[in-house]
Amino acid sequence: MPDSSVPALLELDSVSKSFGRVVVAEGLSLTVGEADFVGMVGPNGAGKTSLFGLIAGDISPDAGSIRLGGAQVNRLSSAARCRVGIGRTYQVPRPFGGMTVYENVLVAAQQGGRLRRRASYAFAAEALEVAGLAAEANRPAGTLGLLQRKRLEMARALATRPKLLLLDEVAGGLTDPEVAQLVQIVTSIRAGGVAIIWIEHVVRALTGSVDRLLCLAGGRFVADGGPADVLANPTVREVFLGTEVSTSLPGQSAGGQPDQEQA
Amino acid sequence: MIWVNDIVQGVLLGGLYALFACGLSLMFGVMKVINLAHGDLAVVAAYLAAGLVTVLHMPTALSILVSIPLFAIIGYVLWRTVLQASLNRSVLTTLLVTFGMSIVIENALQQFFSANSRSLSIGALATDHFNVGSQITVGYLDLAILIAAVVVLLGLQLFLSRTRQGRLIRAVADDREAAQLAGADYRHIFGIAAAIAFGTVAVAGTAYGVYTTFDPTTGTTQLLLLFAFEAVVIGGLGSLWGTLVGGILLGVVQDIGAQISTADLLLAGQLFFLLVLVIRPQGITGSRRTA
Repeated sequence: MPDSSVPALLELDSVSKSFGRVVVAEGLSLTVGEADFVGMVGPNGAGKTSLFGLIAGDISPDAGSIRLGGAQVNRLSSAARCRVGIGRTYQVPRPFGGMTVYENVLVAAQQGGRLRRRASYAFAAEALEVAGLAAEANRPAGTLGLLQRKRLEMARALATRPKLLLLDEVAGGLTDPEVAQLVQIVTSIRAGGVAIIWIEHVVRALTGSVDRLLCLAGGRFVADGGPADVLANPTVREVFLGTEVSTSLPGQSAGGQPDQEQA
Repeated sequence: MIWVNDIVQGVLLGGLYALFACGLSLMFGVMKVINLAHGDLAVVAAYLAAGLVTVLHMPTALSILVSIPLFAIIGYVLWRTVLQASLNRSVLTTLLVTFGMSIVIENALQQFFSANSRSLSIGALATDHFNVGSQITVGYLDLAILIAAVVVLLGLQLFLSRTRQGRLIRAVADDREAAQLAGADYRHIFGIAAAIAFGTVAVAGTAYGVYTTFDPTTGTTQLLLLFAFEAVVIGGLGSLWGTLVGGILLGVVQDIGAQISTADLLLAGQLFFLLVLVIRPQGITGSRRTA
């Protein structure tokens, strides 16, 4: 996958992190290329959301390096990482409730996306269009239902013009037709050339779309490869499929992670 | 008719309270921080204005052109150094730090300017007035302060609702972590909000120095912080229009209390404040949603 002459989009090199005695990342190394579409599965507490925290800058690693496009980003704040191209959604959507849907996305386009005036207005509108929220543009974001909030979460991340988009549990808590709609949005974002890493408990949502699947358990990758191979892997079946129901499980992943587990 | 005059005077006094309260209201609304040094900072602004008038021979009213930007810079720097660091620990730490600042400021002012009280001169405007009917007297200065309060609050409201920076401030006030993920550095944006709040303190302090005399301890002895705080709470925490309404109501109630007997000025204000807390804790304009 990675072309050796060009630095990969994202490179993690032996990244480790523990909270007290809880190890959430143990020497994790990972390379993701431009426009790769990677799924990530793993049992609760495997460290999936923490890994996103490490990449996006909410959590600083104890050891190891994180590079985006060859440049080390370890010391950048989460806001600065967003501006260099790392977009992220939260598992539980966190819209700016007092602002309109459009304003939510506009903030992202102007700050993360570094666009000004007309360019930002147009790009924010486009992000809403992609997420299927154009009709709700002037509603206060606090009044949206769960599906719409998830759409807004994606639109806001998309508006930051990411090179790499980290999606955390897009499908949790939704019905099958709703999941299908969101998968379609993810696919169209990916068609725009954005690399995606997607954590999902609803494995069905992943298998039909991603090119590569990672399985994380106990802060280590236990499998990495094509989705069918990974799901057939005996270790994966044991740590993940054996203990988890692969169909819709609302919300919750990853216990033992101090960041953003809020209702 | 005498009551009508009391209400008019109360409204005018309320303008001063509202002007004082808007910086407090903004900092609470955005950062959820109560700045206990607010009143003392206003006194510093009054001394600064006195210095500008004496040294640079500036007209008092124009001194705010210097003191606003200076206070804004102080606000930004103070936020990025001391206040943000204290907020990272806990809200209680911020209270203690600003309380400490209040003591430091009062003592430093005593050291440099002695305990003598002074005032800012604004010429004939200080006493000029016009009459409405036979009973109502409106001082030009009082009216100017009320207008300044309305202009500052209106300006802030427009800034927050219409501009890019204002939108960012609202986003960060709403959820600072989510704002980080949208690419907005909350520490910088909080700093900007602190700069604006301090800028309004410069206006309020100068207005107070013109309105009456001040000395190094005025910030606490004249209950400036308390009145500003009451205006914010009566109006509704975090709401700028509420702050104007709260300031004016407090002024009116105090003036009516003073009519009953001079000593009742404070009592009436405090009782009204307690009444609002009991009957409508979210404030006059506040919604039930917590700020």
